[in-house]
Amino acid sequence: MNRTFLIQAMLYLSFTFGMVVPGFAGEPQDQLRETTDKVLSVLADPDLKGPSKATERRERIQKIVDERFDWEEMARRSLARHWTQRTPEEKREFVPLFKALLERVYADKVEGYSWNKILYEVETIDGDYAAIKVKIFTAKDQTIHVEYRTRKKGSHWLVYDFSVEGVGLVNNYRTQFNEIILKSSYQELVKRLKTKSAQN
Amino acid sequence: MKISFRRLLLPALCLLILSGLAFGEPAAPIGYSLDPFGGTSINRRSGSTLSKPQPSGWDVEGLDSSACYQPPDLPVLVAQSSKPYLKEEELELEEQPDTIADPLEPVNRIFFHVNDKLYFWALKPIASGYKAVVPEDLRLGFKNFFSNLTTPVRLVNCLLQANFKGAGNETIRLLLNSTLGLGGFLDPAKTELRIEKRDEDFGQTLGFWGIGPAFYIEWPILGASSLRDTFGYAGDLLLDPKTYLIRAVPVGLAIRTYDQVNETSLRIGEYEDFKRSTLDPYIAKREAYHQNRKHKIKNR
Repeated sequence: MNRTFLIQAMLYLSFTFGMVVPGFAGEPQDQLRETTDKVLSVLADPDLKGPSKATERRERIQKIVDERFDWEEMARRSLARHWTQRTPEEKREFVPLFKALLERVYADKVEGYSWNKILYEVETIDGDYAAIKVKIFTAKDQTIHVEYRTRKKGSHWLVYDFSVEGVGLVNNYRTQFNEIILKSSYQELVKRLKTKSAQN
Repeated sequence: MKISFRRLLLPALCLLILSGLAFGEPAAPIGYSLDPFGGTSINRRSGSTLSKPQPSGWDVEGLDSSACYQPPDLPVLVAQSSKPYLKEEELELEEQPDTIADPLEPVNRIFFHVNDKLYFWALKPIASGYKAVVPEDLRLGFKNFFSNLTTPVRLVNCLLQANFKGAGNETIRLLLNSTLGLGGFLDPAKTELRIEKRDEDFGQTLGFWGIGPAFYIEWPILGASSLRDTFGYAGDLLLDPKTYLIRAVPVGLAIRTYDQVNETSLRIGEYEDFKRSTLDPYIAKREAYHQNRKHKIKNR
C-alpha cells in the first residue's frame, strides 16, 4: 500500500514537472510553436477581422508561414523521381506554382476552423530530422491529429511535410503528380497547376 | 434453398483472407510497436520530449501512457518503429510510393463521379436546408446520439483487437452518456472525464489481424472503401444495434440517411475545400482514404 502511494506520488510529480517546465520541449517544437502562435495572433487580431481585410490577413499569414515551410523541399519530394529529370528553369517554375497551391490550401484550412486549443504532444528528433505531433481542438468538438516533419537548415527547423489524421501532404500530391506525369506529361502537370492557381 | 447471409459469411471471409494475403502489403508491425527496449513513443499531456524507456520493470503496455514514469532525461529520442520516411536516403531509394492497388479504376472513377454529383445535387442542398432550420447544438446532439447507438460496433472491435482499455472506455462512455447524457445526446464522458470515442470498425480489426486492403473500391453512395473494408462494413452491420432494433428495411434506411444528412450538415464545405486543393480529386481521395485507414489501424 505504501509502495503504491509512493509510485503514485512520483507519477503525479513527473506529470506536474512535465507540464510546468517548458524546457523539456525541444528546439523544433519551440520554433513551430512560435510560428503557429504568430498565425493565431493574426487571426485573432481585431484590426484584421472581416472579409475586407482578407487579403491583408492572407499576406501576413503567408509571410509567417514562409519562414517555417521549406517549399522547395516539399516541391522536390512531391515530384520524387521526376524532380531529377527537370531542368533548372523547370524547377524554378515549379516551386512557386506548388507553393501558391499549398498556400491557398493552408490559408483556407487555417481560416475555416475556429481553433480552441492546440496540444503539442510528441516530438521525435533523429539527427537533423524532427517530427512533431500536434492535437488541434476545434470549436465543434473535433479533434484533429496533425504531424509536422521538419528538417534542420542552419539554425532553423523547417517544415517539409505534414499530415492530417495520417494523410500526408507530400505523399498525396506525389501520387497525383506521378499519375498525371505518367498518363500525360510534365507539361500537362504544369498547365494544370497554372489553371488551378488562376481559379483560386 | 434459402441462402442466409450467415452462410455466405464464412466462405466470403476465407476468400477475403486469401485475397488479402495475395494482394495485401506485409502486416504492419503493430504487435512490435511496444518493445520496451526498442523505440517507443510515449504520449505526454504536455509538450515534453520522450526519453528512452528504462527497463524498470514497468509493463509498458498495461499502463496508461501518461502513467509511465520517465526519469527527466535529456531529449534523447528514438525513431518510431514503423518509420515515417524521415531520411533523405529513404526517399531516394523509394521507387513507388505506398499506394493502394486499383485494378477497378475505370469503374471506380465512374462511381466517384456519381458520388460527386450526388453530393452537390442531393446531399449538400438537403443538408444545407437542414442546417438552416436546425440549430447546431441540436445537430451535434443527434450526432452524439447516433454515435452512442453504435457503441457495440466499437466495443466488439476493440475486444477483437485485444484493446481492453479501449473496450473499457467504450463501456464507460455508453453507460455514462446514455444516463447522464440524456440517452446519448450529450457527451459527458468526453467533456467531464475526457474519455474520447475510439473509432474502431471491423475493417480496422481485419487490418490489425494482418489482412491488407487488397484493392480500392468506390461504392456509389457509400463512398470510398477497399475489399477488406467492404467486408468490414458488412461485419459492422451485424454488430450495429440498428440492424436488430429496426426490422423494417425502409425505416432503417431512413434512419441511416438521416444520420448521414445530419453528419454532413456539420461538415459542409470540407469536400469543396478538398477538391479545391487537388489536381486529381479521385486519386487524392483514394490515397487519402488509404493513408487514413493505415493510420487508424496503427493507432489501435
